[in-house]
Amino acid sequence: MVINDVTAKMEPGKCNLIIGASGSGKTVLMKCMVGLLAPDSGAIMYDGVDFIKMNGEEKKEVRKQIGMLFQGSALFDSLNVEKNVMFPLNMFTEDSHKKKLDRVNEVLERVQLKGANKKFPAELSGGMKKRVGIARAIVLNPKYLFCDEPNSGLDPQTSIVIDKLIQELTREYKTTTIVNTHDMNSVMEIGDHIIYMYQGLKEWEGNNKEIIFSKNQRLNDFIFASEFLRDAKDMRMLEETGKIPNERDMEEITDKSAPPLIPPEE
Amino acid sequence: MYWKEFMHQCSEIGIGSLGIVVIISIFMGAVSALQTAYQLTTPIIPKETIAQIVRDTVILEFSPTLVCIVLAGVVGSKIASELGNMRVSEQIDALEIMGVNTKTYLVLPKILASLVVIPMLVIISAVLGVWGGRLAGQFAGILSTTQYDRGLLENFMPYNVTFALIKAYTFAFLISSVSSYSGYYVEGGALEIGRASTKSVVASCILILFSDYLLAALLL
Repeated sequence: MVINDVTAKMEPGKCNLIIGASGSGKTVLMKCMVGLLAPDSGAIMYDGVDFIKMNGEEKKEVRKQIGMLFQGSALFDSLNVEKNVMFPLNMFTEDSHKKKLDRVNEVLERVQLKGANKKFPAELSGGMKKRVGIARAIVLNPKYLFCDEPNSGLDPQTSIVIDKLIQELTREYKTTTIVNTHDMNSVMEIGDHIIYMYQGLKEWEGNNKEIIFSKNQRLNDFIFASEFLRDAKDMRMLEETGKIPNERDMEEITDKSAPPLIPPEE
Repeated sequence: MYWKEFMHQCSEIGIGSLGIVVIISIFMGAVSALQTAYQLTTPIIPKETIAQIVRDTVILEFSPTLVCIVLAGVVGSKIASELGNMRVSEQIDALEIMGVNTKTYLVLPKILASLVVIPMLVIISAVLGVWGGRLAGQFAGILSTTQYDRGLLENFMPYNVTFALIKAYTFAFLISSVSSYSGYYVEGGALEIGRASTKSVVASCILILFSDYLLAALLL
């Protein structure tokens, strides 16, 4: 059994993060939520209706409202950027080609890929592929946006760009965004609501303010695995409580030459 | 959308394999003509018999079976690796989420396109094979084109063409369905895609040979 007894409510209009170590069941949980895997028991509720029990037409209606960004972007190799982004429009709308093209250009501009219409996936960098994946996911103005490890394989700067984009789109379109990640920058930056998974179980739930002060040992081991993040936690506790957080040398903690946890905006 | 994909597959399978089919067929006919002539040493048997043997072996066996075995390699491995890559890179999952019935959208057009295009390739191959034999007979000085043409018309059985087409349809279905299955249900990474591709070619070839025997036993 990969996941067991997980009950969680995703907060509408917010960035909901599912975090956990590799193999903790994050991707399986997300695949169950979007209907790619069927759970042995339990329910996946969309607006109070169980997705598993829906008929084909009802599922199609829900799927219209779902956009998904895959870990490897999952762009169709044989189609260029424009056709990739247009694909959901061709599937779900009867609009004219001109109208669909306008919408494609609009979302490509939104993800800062204006003019990349005719490029094929093989010609794009990892970050560009992710942005095309996001453009394809949001082209139908989805109510739910699922992102499976959006930062995997990206450099830290591009990761921040993708995180910001996801956060902006969530605010702008008021989507309920669900992100699978183990990137701590993302957790601190966009985690309005966080679920921590451990060996297939929901271990902790909260937000990016609470996670720093969590008493859950497994969660602490996971998020403060690096010395750098432990220092960041100590700094934050010092700022917020005015107390010396632990017995470690304060000189070491307050090292001014240390890089900030979240790099400054460019 | 499905029609467009079907036409795309027809072009991929048909036009994509045409070159190799043309080359194989001409040489296949030419070599059969030369080898038949080599074995017919007695002057009692007329030269026209060479054309008859070339015609019947090409139509009955070489064009449907040999060409389909080659197509199992060319088309089968392509289908398996294409679908396998789509599965591994989550493109099939992306289609599923968009509500696309992936079996209908990805597999069915490949099978239907194969059923339309492969018999056409077999017919082209048979014509080119017979023509290759004619060319080889003429260039090697074994028999004249008039003798060859006369031989072609003697004892011709139209049922042989029907039988060749039955074989072509059967093999087309086997090639496309076996390779689609191998590719669609691939699990893992690049290594598994390669394995699925090889497995599909091997399985298709064995099934082609087995069904070739079965059809010959049942229909001839």
